[in-house]
Amino acid sequence: MDLIGALPRLAARRPPVLLVTMPGATRERLAVEAELTGRGWPSAPGPAAAAGLVVAGRAGGAQWLGDLWNGMPRPRAYVAVAHAGDAPHALDLLGRLLSSGREGDAPRAVSAGAPRGAPGQGGGDGPDHHPGAPGSGARETPGDEDGRSGRGGQEGRDGRGQARGQGRGQGQGRKQGRALGLGLGQGRGQGQGQGQGHGGHRGGVAGLPMAGRADDRDGLRLDRLHLPLGPALADWPAGLVLDVALQGDVLQSAEAHPWEAAPAGRYPFWGEPWLRAAGGEAVTRGAAERRRCASHLDSVGRFLAVSGWPRPAARARRLRDRLLQGAAAGELAPEVLRLTRGVARSRTLRWLTRGLGELPAGRARELGVTGPALAADGDVHARLRVWLGEIERSVHGMDDPRALTGVDGPRGRLDGPRPPSRLLLAALLPLLPGAEFACARLILASFDPDPDEFAGAGHG
Amino acid sequence: MAEAAPLWAVPVLPVALCLGAVAAAAFDAVVGGGSGRPGAGVLAAASAPLREGLRLLAQQRRTTPSADTALGRVGLGLVPVAAVLAAAVVPWGFVQVADPAVGIVWFNAMEVLAWAAVWLAGWGPNSVLSLIGGYRFLAQGLAYELPHMFALTTAGLGAESLRVSEVVGAQQGLWFAVWMPAAFAVYLLSAVAMSFWGPFGYPLGGDVAGGAVAEYSGVDRLLLLGGRWLLLTATAAFSVPLFLGGGRGPLLPGWGWTLLKTAAVLAVLILARRMLPVLRAERYMEFAWMVLVPLTLVQALFVAVVVLNR
Repeated sequence: MDLIGALPRLAARRPPVLLVTMPGATRERLAVEAELTGRGWPSAPGPAAAAGLVVAGRAGGAQWLGDLWNGMPRPRAYVAVAHAGDAPHALDLLGRLLSSGREGDAPRAVSAGAPRGAPGQGGGDGPDHHPGAPGSGARETPGDEDGRSGRGGQEGRDGRGQARGQGRGQGQGRKQGRALGLGLGQGRGQGQGQGQGHGGHRGGVAGLPMAGRADDRDGLRLDRLHLPLGPALADWPAGLVLDVALQGDVLQSAEAHPWEAAPAGRYPFWGEPWLRAAGGEAVTRGAAERRRCASHLDSVGRFLAVSGWPRPAARARRLRDRLLQGAAAGELAPEVLRLTRGVARSRTLRWLTRGLGELPAGRARELGVTGPALAADGDVHARLRVWLGEIERSVHGMDDPRALTGVDGPRGRLDGPRPPSRLLLAALLPLLPGAEFACARLILASFDPDPDEFAGAGHG
Repeated sequence: MAEAAPLWAVPVLPVALCLGAVAAAAFDAVVGGGSGRPGAGVLAAASAPLREGLRLLAQQRRTTPSADTALGRVGLGLVPVAAVLAAAVVPWGFVQVADPAVGIVWFNAMEVLAWAAVWLAGWGPNSVLSLIGGYRFLAQGLAYELPHMFALTTAGLGAESLRVSEVVGAQQGLWFAVWMPAAFAVYLLSAVAMSFWGPFGYPLGGDVAGGAVAEYSGVDRLLLLGGRWLLLTATAAFSVPLFLGGGRGPLLPGWGWTLLKTAAVLAVLILARRMLPVLRAERYMEFAWMVLVPLTLVQALFVAVVVLNR
């Protein structure tokens, strides 16, 4: 039937994309985001919503990435963007792959080790070589493949090297669509997917859980559930992983998981002008202010997205992209000011964020925090206001031709013993326990530590 | 005044509701500019929801390990079912599929079905983020439901009846929206809240990667996201007989006015959606109980005094 033939093309027209940023790949992320905006492709908050998986940076063979891929329903396709300039080409390829029903050179859940070269050579058919993994034609096959990948969220396990896509551990689902379920019932160290002989899928019988599992799940009310958040959550600092304990949706504890260091040999994107100047290169103040402004717009866009206000979030990100593409300050200034004033004026936003994540200046100083978080001397909304104020100031300083001498990057002083983002992370973690999930996300977004900076002082 | 609908209206109702929901989603896509690259035509934007629906129909469904699939699917299926059943008491003009003596209560009961639906859908996949999403809807329900019920009660008070056709009949000459503005405003707020959409999209929030819908793909996802539009359309349509005089109006036939007013209410909601971030239940709760509950009670008192002195 003609319609069936047309469906893949339909799916490829504006596929929702799950963008995963590898450590150090901020430049690539920005290139992909700008490209997605230009095409009007929606971004997916998780693997279930996505048709395309785009990895910004060098994918390597991360286990969680393979699991994320396994969690995506077919039809799906994968591309990697190793260099910012590849973004348009890679997305073209993604569209072609989807409309032809191919998946691209997909990441595997088992560590492949070898770094990928050019994005998707096409034709690879993903990790599903095991029996009983049907294509989207889904035939019923009894039994299931037991989870061989990480079981996130298990009690008493350190989760190292385990699945961490989307802040959910994941196991191999039964055939269909490879679930990313964080087993709520797995908090007892119980393995998962003990074969129920019936996969629930098209025309299949819905699988009823076994009684034993239901008991496990009931334990949730008493249990603390440990799970890693990150590194691939939407609107989340790329590469950051927090190990949190949840009771219901309230965070009981939060610790930073050892992060994957950004590849050496590159300055962190947002601190680049100051680090270059510190390294003796000639950088103008105007260029640094442009970068600061873009950095804050990126943070504001992320914050607004987390707070569920898509429209100004999209505007902030569009302005950020145009700044980085070198648009003239005079041309952008009115739009930037309209945005910052509108957001700063919003009473609703103030009411929603008031009193969250208080960090008084005194405490910030003790912790060595500098930059906006110190200047804010207050809650989530105060930090947002400082960003907005700095954006307005930076817009007017973008034509300054003088040489850059300062070390005050967008997130704080870059000449300290530890990178500012590390200090921000240390300052925000104690604010998370006791916060509801949504509030914790807002608190994190209001500091917006940049994991690219974690590695050190950025010796390029 | 009211008459029973012919039998053929029963199968037509879900179809009509779906058409309304698709039209609303299309309008949302056009004014949202969320889809469509700069310069993309209105037509491309308007067809985006339909295209997305087709895409989801053809997409594989996911299962998650040790999920309670049955429960999840019951929840998913309940969303559109609740919307259609709620729409059964909405008069088209002066004809409605069902006109029970407790029409307003019936409508309210159907929306409580939606609570169960979202909660079950969030529980089903055995995943933290979707469970959080499911629970969020309960918290949200707790916040919006009381003022909402007082608003519904106020309309019933004004008409001295819970029968929807009689509520319409009581608005001869003066719409309830005019002399019960607070109840009307609160009703619109809760219409959006019960559709867990826009500023009340907390249960499906992006911060929890989609919340209740986080683990669903394919037709499952379509049921939940499409059901949300059905709910929004049904609640917007119900505001017409409750507060906007039903099918009354010059020139056009009754059903034409119903359609026009429903479209207007939907347009207002869709346009207003952009002004607000997501209202988290924990903050909205305070506002709902400390501000809206007293407000709707005072409104109900005012209406009651007027009715007693007629």
